[in-house]
Amino acid sequence: MVPEHLHLLTILLLLPLAGAFVIGVCPGSWSRRLAIYLTSAMVFVCAAAATGFHPGQVGMQFSEQISWIRAPLPVDYHVGVDGLSLCLVALTSIVTFASVLASKNVGENRPRLYYSLLMLLTASITGVFVSQDLIQFFVLYELELVPMYFLIAIWGGPRRDYAAMKFLIYTFFGGIFMLAALLYLYYQLGLLGAGYQTFDMVKLATCSPMLGKVVQLVACLGFMLAFMIKLPSFPFHTWLPDAHVEAPTPVSMILASLLLKMGAYGLVRICLGFFPDAIVGLGTGLMALGAFNIVWAAIACLVQDDMKRVIAFSSVSHMGFVTLGIGSLSAAGLNGAIFQMISHGFISAALFFLVGTVYDRCHTRKISEIGGGLARQMPAIFYFWLLASLANLGLPALSGFVAEATVFYGAFTSPMAEIASQSAFVHTVIVVAATGIIMTAAYMLWLLKRLFYGPELDKWSGHLSGMKAWEVVVASVLCLFVVGLGVYPRALTDRYTPLADRMAQDAASHLTLGMRSYTID
Amino acid sequence: MHLPTLTNVLFAWSPMIVLAPFIAAIVIILFARFNRTLSMLLSVGAVAYCFLHSCAILNVLYNQPLLNPASINWDWFNSQSFHLSMGVMIDHLAAVMLLVVTTISLFVQIYSHGYMREDPGYARFFAYLSLFTGSMLGLVVSTNLFESYFFWELVGVMSYLLIGFWWHKRTAAEAALKAFIVNRIGDFGFLIGILFFLSSTFGFWVNHPILMFSDPQGFDLVGAIRWGYSHGTLTELTLTGISICMLLGPIAKSAQLPLHVWLADAMEGPTPISALIHAATMVAAGVYLIARAYPIWLTPSQTLDSAGLAVIAWVGGITAFVAATIALTQFDIKRILAWSTVSQLGYMFCGLGTGAYTAGIFHLFNHAFFKAMLFLCSGAIIHALHHCYAHDSQLQKRLNEVSLSDRLIPPDQDLRNMGGLWKYMPITGSCFLVGCLSISGIPGLSGFFSKDDIISSAFRYTGGGHELLSALLIITAGLTSFYMFRTFFMAFFGQYRGKEEPHKEKISVMNLPLIALAVPSIISGYLGANPQWLPQLCGISAPTTLPNLFGQFLHWGPTAQFESANLQIMWISIAFAAGGILLAYMAYVKNFAVNSWCADKFKPFYTLSWKKWYFDEIYLWICQKLVLRLFRSLWNLIDMTLVDNCVNLSCFATLGSGELLRYSENGRAQWYALVIFGSVATLALLYFFIRP
Repeated sequence: MVPEHLHLLTILLLLPLAGAFVIGVCPGSWSRRLAIYLTSAMVFVCAAAATGFHPGQVGMQFSEQISWIRAPLPVDYHVGVDGLSLCLVALTSIVTFASVLASKNVGENRPRLYYSLLMLLTASITGVFVSQDLIQFFVLYELELVPMYFLIAIWGGPRRDYAAMKFLIYTFFGGIFMLAALLYLYYQLGLLGAGYQTFDMVKLATCSPMLGKVVQLVACLGFMLAFMIKLPSFPFHTWLPDAHVEAPTPVSMILASLLLKMGAYGLVRICLGFFPDAIVGLGTGLMALGAFNIVWAAIACLVQDDMKRVIAFSSVSHMGFVTLGIGSLSAAGLNGAIFQMISHGFISAALFFLVGTVYDRCHTRKISEIGGGLARQMPAIFYFWLLASLANLGLPALSGFVAEATVFYGAFTSPMAEIASQSAFVHTVIVVAATGIIMTAAYMLWLLKRLFYGPELDKWSGHLSGMKAWEVVVASVLCLFVVGLGVYPRALTDRYTPLADRMAQDAASHLTLGMRSYTID
Repeated sequence: MHLPTLTNVLFAWSPMIVLAPFIAAIVIILFARFNRTLSMLLSVGAVAYCFLHSCAILNVLYNQPLLNPASINWDWFNSQSFHLSMGVMIDHLAAVMLLVVTTISLFVQIYSHGYMREDPGYARFFAYLSLFTGSMLGLVVSTNLFESYFFWELVGVMSYLLIGFWWHKRTAAEAALKAFIVNRIGDFGFLIGILFFLSSTFGFWVNHPILMFSDPQGFDLVGAIRWGYSHGTLTELTLTGISICMLLGPIAKSAQLPLHVWLADAMEGPTPISALIHAATMVAAGVYLIARAYPIWLTPSQTLDSAGLAVIAWVGGITAFVAATIALTQFDIKRILAWSTVSQLGYMFCGLGTGAYTAGIFHLFNHAFFKAMLFLCSGAIIHALHHCYAHDSQLQKRLNEVSLSDRLIPPDQDLRNMGGLWKYMPITGSCFLVGCLSISGIPGLSGFFSKDDIISSAFRYTGGGHELLSALLIITAGLTSFYMFRTFFMAFFGQYRGKEEPHKEKISVMNLPLIALAVPSIISGYLGANPQWLPQLCGISAPTTLPNLFGQFLHWGPTAQFESANLQIMWISIAFAAGGILLAYMAYVKNFAVNSWCADKFKPFYTLSWKKWYFDEIYLWICQKLVLRLFRSLWNLIDMTLVDNCVNLSCFATLGSGELLRYSENGRAQWYALVIFGSVATLALLYFFIRP
């Protein structure tokens, strides 16, 4: 067992932050190697934290709190992890490691700047997941914009300026609402009494549910807007395809697998954790929005001619499961939503990486230009594609299935569905969402067919190289987790289930007040 | 503390039946993929182990029938409010199915060694085969509906991979995609059905693993239905709705109308796959699932007169007929067999739907052997003829590039290029003949015993329209014998019509499995017969329901007895079958111009059959012209035009307002003073008017 006083989380946060400086001052030829060392160190620290973690406990572990500013606002340095955060932090370190490995080609151009921005990005993402102080959370949440903007704007594709600016403005727009909601929340807590005024997220989780319904709703909507943009959810999703298509491969991997999760994490931690009354009111709407996202993005996937856009829209579709699961307010739904965050993290990273490998060889992302028949020359890439596609469409024994099945199960057994007046609507919503499983299969396998199947084309024969060793390593690492989590989901669920069950129970207990009686045995 | 008996060991190690092929597949993929012999040995070894273990289990169950199924369960996904478990459950139904799956798998894998010998993807093929076998066995021994769904999808994806095994063929790629998507539509219904069922019986499963097929304490499907019915959460109407949603799964997997379109095109895969997956095991999984979760399709009080069963019966009856009419005019030997599979699966559906539970399973059992053998025979023919066309690179290139809708039949599969093959391949020919006789329901061979039970049960059916249903099945019996013997005569009789003559057949690894499978094709029917039954058939003694080996072994709930055959119906169907054979003989051996006469006089019917009732055309039109076009315009309208333009517009608005406001910053002190004064004045006025 790992003792708690090792400052593991601070180390985890400082590693990439220090790394960003070190890489910046060291010669460019060292950058890649340094980044690999740093990220693998992060993986080890995470592994240590995971072994020392007590899965049965619901509260924060490895907590560290240092008072920083007292006036005018009480801001602390406060980090800690519970099951949810731990899983996301582990995801962050593994995916960052993979994307640093995958930066081999991209990072050759201005390596020092590239890798130090990547490290800064990692630091801010890790920070978001471990922060237990709302101001700290907000600052790190916004900090991520800076490296991301430059990573897209410098190393991106032809329309990188438009995409980077769109990403920046969209996210900033959400950030403003989050800031407003944050200050509003602080002010309203002050009205409850001076003792309640805090930015400590652990305390907030107990204080803010005491606020009035309308206050909760206003604050919740502010936060939710920011998170919905990040997630992203219709109608705030159009930044994502543009940003993804223009971003270089490793950045796309981080964008899809980690940045989107910040939105999902916020929804669970803040919207659901702080404002259960508001979420109870919004639950059915959230489920409908999730279902709409699943179907709408799947429709968008079916009509794209750019393979990276297909994968980008499929991310929107899969994050719809998170919204659906959270909106269901059931233990299974929330468990599934959290599982979906992690599972999609690995699957989307793998898919974006594989899109990159094909793009590097064919120099086009247009499906019609590639024309098919690639399997003959790139069999290894084809197998990884196949595995990742199957995971993405929710094949059993791969991680996507666990998440989707549990979310559907949770949605069907949701307390929302047991309110007689909403039951028919909720059931319709779920049936609509479930048509997504048909469309996901259609667009993923159709994509696979148009890229890899069919007779070999003359224009590609002899021009395409097979998979390089480092590419095999990256793809294998990601696929290993996809298969592992799919075969033995308890490795992950045991960490966060007590927490998710507790949160769902709390939310459901707010539903009880006035509406109906509901007990979880 | 007592020593473990052999029986206990057999049951305790039963998970190995599922795991062994998976382990073999993983070893092949990771380590042995460059070694052809090793990968073959691993794969065949694993399935041979499964076969022996299944036989041992069958033997144990035969000697000591199990009252409660032997099951082992593990938690797979746990949360406070629900337990998903995975496990292995052995009961009599599972034991029968295990025997079918492992036997066919074993012989097909041995056969594949010969058939795929020259293929560069030999090791990959065995890896896929092992994965498929493992998934299929997992489906057979599932302890709960959720686990069934899990393996259900896995066998579906293995079917996808194996149909698209020759990925350089455009037709194979299209067929694989088609198969998966059509099956996904079924899975969608299946999933919705499971979830509706769960949400209506949610309170029942608290603290118990959900959706168990069988549980000693009664926390299983039957218990859940009773509970839901007595608590009012599950009405007859909801149960019907659930069963019909869930039925979509078996309909797609067993290629029943209207989701039958994928199976014929699945023949683009290698022939051993067609024999194993698309004839004997996976497509029968739909029938197996219905049998396994039978309580769901019954009425809430577990009687047979439910709407769910009626739907099964009619879907089966209509599919049997439609598929048989399509098979009449096809020329691709594999596709004829595929349509015949669809038709026979229709029989099984009809059997289960009309309450002939045992007969339905018995037909599954018999059909698996003779249909797998027929496919392996067709594979032997294709293999023999292939070398006549293999060196024609122009043709091979064309075959790679055509699309499914072109319907170009590879010459080695085209009946019009065969003829007179008996001379070259007598072993294959005799096996094929056995299969044809068996499937036609000629007395004495296996197909006869189960098929007539189903037809009789359709005749006894009390749900309305039993004359039509049994008439459909009897006509189908006639059609079946016609098209099967049409195939047989066209392939093996007359003059050879191809380019080069094939080599003469030798005893090899490819025809030994044929001979091995011919044995059960002849005798497996007698498991369902009783010696006293012969006098009844000849009218010497009065017809009664007689016990028999298969029925006794399977023995299940509401339909414990084995259904007796109806003698008149039996004679009629035998007459139809004989008529079909006679007609085929006249048309294709004696060369009476029966077929050209039919093609002329009944042109519309001929075209309808040749065009497969236009299902493909209609579905393709709906997908491409309707759905995709609608999606494209919707997406362009909403995402590209509305949402994105709003975003861009707001950017321009910001820029524009900035441009305009720039003029207010003109640096003149008087102007600023005016603005300050004006603002103060406005605020003062506002305060004055809106003062509380």
